[in-house]
Amino acid sequence: MGQIVLDKVSKSFGDVEVIPPLDLTIEDGEFTVFVGPSGCGKSTLLRMIAGLEDLTSGAIAIDGEDVTEVPPSKRGLAMVFQSYALYPHMTVRKNIGFPLRMEKMDQAEIDKRVETAATSLNLMDYLDRKPGQLSGGQRQRVAIGRAIVRDPSAFLFDEPLSNLDAALRVGMRLEISEMHERMQTTMIYVTHDQVEAMTMANKIVVLQAGVIEQVGSPLDLYHKPQNVFVAGFIGSPKMNIFTGPEAEKQGAHTIGIRPEHTDVSMTEGTWKGTVGVAEHLGSDTFIHVHNTGLADMVTVRISGDISVKHGDDIYLTPQPDQIHRFDAQGLRIE
Amino acid sequence: MSDRKLPRLLQTPAVLLLLVWMLIPLGMTLYFSFIRYVLNSLRRPEWTSPSLSNWRGFGNYEFVLKSKDFVLAIQNSLFIVCSILFLTVILGILIAVLINKTFPGQGIVRVLLISPFFVMPAVNAVLWINMILDPVLGLQGIAVAGINDILDGLRQMPLLGGFSSLWPEFEPISFRATQTSAIAVIMMVTWQWTPFAVLIFMTSLQSEDQQQKEAAILDGAGTWSQFRFLTLPHLGRPIAIVVMIQAIFHLSLYAEIEIVSRGNGNKNLPYLIGEFANNNIGAASATGIFAVILANIVAIFLLRMVGKTLME
Repeated sequence: MGQIVLDKVSKSFGDVEVIPPLDLTIEDGEFTVFVGPSGCGKSTLLRMIAGLEDLTSGAIAIDGEDVTEVPPSKRGLAMVFQSYALYPHMTVRKNIGFPLRMEKMDQAEIDKRVETAATSLNLMDYLDRKPGQLSGGQRQRVAIGRAIVRDPSAFLFDEPLSNLDAALRVGMRLEISEMHERMQTTMIYVTHDQVEAMTMANKIVVLQAGVIEQVGSPLDLYHKPQNVFVAGFIGSPKMNIFTGPEAEKQGAHTIGIRPEHTDVSMTEGTWKGTVGVAEHLGSDTFIHVHNTGLADMVTVRISGDISVKHGDDIYLTPQPDQIHRFDAQGLRIE
Repeated sequence: MSDRKLPRLLQTPAVLLLLVWMLIPLGMTLYFSFIRYVLNSLRRPEWTSPSLSNWRGFGNYEFVLKSKDFVLAIQNSLFIVCSILFLTVILGILIAVLINKTFPGQGIVRVLLISPFFVMPAVNAVLWINMILDPVLGLQGIAVAGINDILDGLRQMPLLGGFSSLWPEFEPISFRATQTSAIAVIMMVTWQWTPFAVLIFMTSLQSEDQQQKEAAILDGAGTWSQFRFLTLPHLGRPIAIVVMIQAIFHLSLYAEIEIVSRGNGNKNLPYLIGEFANNNIGAASATGIFAVILANIVAIFLLRMVGKTLME
């Protein structure tokens, strides 16, 4: 069980309102990702759910029970921190067992639970080492182990992968997703990396300056961004967004077209430009096109390889059904 | 090999200087401790200049071991050093944790807390023994007299006077006496050195990882558990530093002992050395060698103890 409901939750530091009143429901068993640029309040929101930050107003309920005034340890939540926050003077075994020891659990029971958690996380060989002797990935596993043993109603992850190198990050991403599939426990995951958000989430919450811009499944957000911010934030490479005559032709103030929804030709097309940098990834090629008269730079993505040189003329044709249109307020026009 | 020669060559002057700095005094002390050497002797004028022909072997050591103050001096050295270490570490941790929280006037409080450390040891001793601990004129005398006045007043009361008369009259304690002079020294040095411990512990507390504390809060650790399992292990190394440095300094206490009681009932090894050195340089040197040995034993013992108890 682990349904979390935020009811008009807000947070101010002195006179500065970081999070204006906000409503959000996270269903039991859901993998929810809070994503947004740095400073958007996503970590603050997570810390408020954990109980590490007080609410300025509003209420938080877990499984229908108001926990606004309940101390962090009694909320039944476990958190994994960006810096791992392992206890440096304790062995891995003691680190993982610490929450149980604080609950005054029987030592035999603690040992049993720690070993179960360690087995599932491949940490059996490291139980008697100290955190300082472990690699980044292993430390992160220990931090997850410390969360698992408590058998919490929800897991909170605060940018857990941002201290790992790229290869490890992909591996840990899969492990956390796998863990969620296996345990079916509610998870809230904070990240600024939209790739992590897209690959892991059941539900993504896009935040900007403490305001929820859109809530939806990853593909919802990709296909139907509700506003210009979400359109630009979700998707990699970024959506090309421009205003002006081309947008007005479509009956909108702003239009957006994703790099992968633009057809490329060397001879004819809707828009003409010159090739800037071409990034060859093997499977795909990203071409940055200049002098289109639309925006400083338009990015297009084509499958496979194409031989273009810097300075070549190039023609772009947007796929008409993939054009996103927005009004003067930046909101989506259906 | 040749590429190592140059760095070694360049280091040589510093190493040599250090060796000379240490080895010459130590060598001279050793030499003097094995010969008869006094500053003034009418009967044996040949002993007044150091010379190998006055060789005495371990005679000086035997003389020191048999002198009536030696055992007292060793015991007293250890008692004073251990008491001061115990008190300064405990007080230091308590005060450091207390002022680590933010509160108005924090800056001023910190400066005031550190200030005893800037008082000269002799001045510190004079202030304490005359102005605070003096049984008549000091704060102690005034406080005891005040309490006795109040008790007197209670005895005069009509009904309850009977009960109050059971209370004894308080007597002020003379801290220059044989039995208490060591206590006075411990008090004044603790007052002076607690700020040092506070300073070291405070800087260490400020480098404590706050996310670890938050993780501990979520794990259900209360204030005491956080202190016991996170803060105290974190302070392990600073405590070892404070213990080491203070042990070295307090084994050589001199001014306080001289001023409080002129060594009456309260000698430590340096004071004993000072007494011998009035005339008998040979015995003073032998005592010095004992002091070096004692300092090493204490250092090793304390380091082991601190290391074991705190690094879980």
